[in-house]
Amino acid sequence: MSPDISSNASTDATTPRASAPRRVTVIRAPSLSLSGLLGSLVKLAQYGDLLYTLSVHRIKVRYKQSLLGVSWAILQPLSLMLIYTVIFSFIARVQTEGVPYAVFSYVALLPWTYFSTSLTNATNGLVSHQELVTKVYFPREILPLSYVVAALFDFAIASTVLAGLMIYYRIGLTWNALYALPVILILTLFVTAVALFLSATQVRFRDIGVAMPLLLQLWMFASPVVYPLSAVPAGLRGFYVLNPMVGVIENFRRVILQGVPPDFHTLGLSALIAVFLLPAAYIYFKRLEATVADII
Amino acid sequence: MIDLKLEHVSKRYRIRREVEADAARHPLVRKLQSLRRPSEEFWAVRDVSFEVERGEALGIIGHNGAGKSTVLKLLSSITAPTSGEITINGRLSALIEVGSGFHPELTGRENIYLNGSILGMRRHRITEKLDSIVEFAGVRQFLDTPVKRFSSGMYVRLGFSIAAHLDPDILLLDEVLAVGDAAFQAKCLQRIGDLKRSGTTIVFISHDLSAVERLCDRVVLLRRGEVVANGAPRDVITQYQNTAAFQSSQPAREELANQQRLVEIGRLAFRDAEGRETSVLRAGEPFTMSLGFTAHAPVADAVFEVFFYSADRELQCQCTTEVLGGRVAVEPGAGAIEFSGPGLGLLTGVYYTDVVIKERGSTEFFDWSQWDSAALRVDPGKLVRGKFYMPCEWRLTQENEAAASAPAETTRA
Repeated sequence: MSPDISSNASTDATTPRASAPRRVTVIRAPSLSLSGLLGSLVKLAQYGDLLYTLSVHRIKVRYKQSLLGVSWAILQPLSLMLIYTVIFSFIARVQTEGVPYAVFSYVALLPWTYFSTSLTNATNGLVSHQELVTKVYFPREILPLSYVVAALFDFAIASTVLAGLMIYYRIGLTWNALYALPVILILTLFVTAVALFLSATQVRFRDIGVAMPLLLQLWMFASPVVYPLSAVPAGLRGFYVLNPMVGVIENFRRVILQGVPPDFHTLGLSALIAVFLLPAAYIYFKRLEATVADII
Repeated sequence: MIDLKLEHVSKRYRIRREVEADAARHPLVRKLQSLRRPSEEFWAVRDVSFEVERGEALGIIGHNGAGKSTVLKLLSSITAPTSGEITINGRLSALIEVGSGFHPELTGRENIYLNGSILGMRRHRITEKLDSIVEFAGVRQFLDTPVKRFSSGMYVRLGFSIAAHLDPDILLLDEVLAVGDAAFQAKCLQRIGDLKRSGTTIVFISHDLSAVERLCDRVVLLRRGEVVANGAPRDVITQYQNTAAFQSSQPAREELANQQRLVEIGRLAFRDAEGRETSVLRAGEPFTMSLGFTAHAPVADAVFEVFFYSADRELQCQCTTEVLGGRVAVEPGAGAIEFSGPGLGLLTGVYYTDVVIKERGSTEFFDWSQWDSAALRVDPGKLVRGKFYMPCEWRLTQENEAAASAPAETTRA
């Protein structure tokens, strides 16, 4: 963990200024320790306001001087949905389990866009803030995290279109749609882990940023966005579901469009991978953070 | 009560020479390169230990590359030490570059929140302080204008103002006074003084030695990443001034060894208006400078020259007997030549002197100090604006003869 910052409150009332107990911070050379990891989380919590302010800042700056403003959040998944609908329901016919293709693909494009927008922006999160990273201290993970939060905001905006589509196609919601919330939580954990890993690696190897568009395109076609999970050959499925996005997207679609409980096998696998990956990615990120200002 | 404690702190950088930017980008190529040539190590800070008491203002001085900024980056957690331990008692804020967290598209108000929270201030605290921040920076009417339309002065003022209202327990300042106009600089210094009086512990890094001396209770001198002095500001600053800035650029002494040193350079000393020997003079005030020498043979027409160099090694001016008229005939034995003037022309700063003794018309020197002569500090004296002080007198003339006066006559009347 690095920098190894351990904190504990000190009580001291000898000077007039010390009205509140002061926090004692000890900075040492980078080393891996559990207390260091906890210390980092405490520090992150102290900087919660910065995460909020920066996330709002992302949203504001993105739409400030654009003509269409917030509607860009809708436009991206919407236009993709239209393109895929033309290709996969008029030209090539994809089996959609009896759901109109437009709503079938849009409901999957929502979590997918959240995932890909987060990663595209977060990967450059550290590199594009060199002037801050070399001049001011704050927990660096806030930079990639703020992009994830901003993308989650876009996700919420774009969800309104889904509501419109469902009314149009007369698809009703059931209580099982509430399962969408844990699904999004798992997705958020997973995207955070990947964002931390990629943004830290990007500092050393700028190839990551260049490769992102291609990587994301491949990843999308390896996930059930434009086709259902049932279209994947049964023999390959055991391998296919190792992609955590499979459990997320398939179950998000399932609980909303079909109104049935999620498939706990695939969702559980995604959750397991996300829960395992996040602390690993965080430790990796904090290790690089110690010297990021030197090599950026 | 110790607020800040450094124990044997070191910071190593690895410098990897990259052959070609493009080739170095590929991890494989880079890996191969780094295998072939081991990276060079560079210790920016080496075994540094010092403490700062609560409410104390500590100055850190040293030449460029001495490790001042690295120490600051270590203290503010921007980068981690390679070894050693830093203990910080309280909330620490570092002001390393003002306004670095601004976003041009956002308004002044939005940027106050953004920059404030980057510096570690809570949102509700920023709301409480908004008025005083805006007041101090003097940007009230532009509060809802995007900062990209701000003048650079407004930018800097807003940046400092946010940082100055953070209310940290420990404040780190790095060359913050290098920006802004004189009036704002004075305001900044006053604010820093206020913070200090209210008990804030301050670590101050600056090239402005007079500001360091005015503000700090104690000064640490760094050289090549190591602490070489730690004590009273006046003593440490004097020591800093006396360590030659020109160490690295001295030509070989052998060059001179071949020459006949008919006249040898002795001591160079400065005296103020009261005739006291000093290494500190004031701009615009009378001064005397005496240069000792030892002559080994009579010289019919000697020339004595003293050159003044600024800290950045630029020649500022020269005192030479060559242009002052008269002939300086030197007899064997020890002696001294004295230069004096009614008003010192040099402005505030640190100067290094260089002495030459030669014969008029000759290109060879009898002796040359090779920049190794005394250092001089000039403090503010008469308020001088511009590049140098020019001694002058005044005399008033008017149509009405009776009203005409001059300072000398007034005193007589």
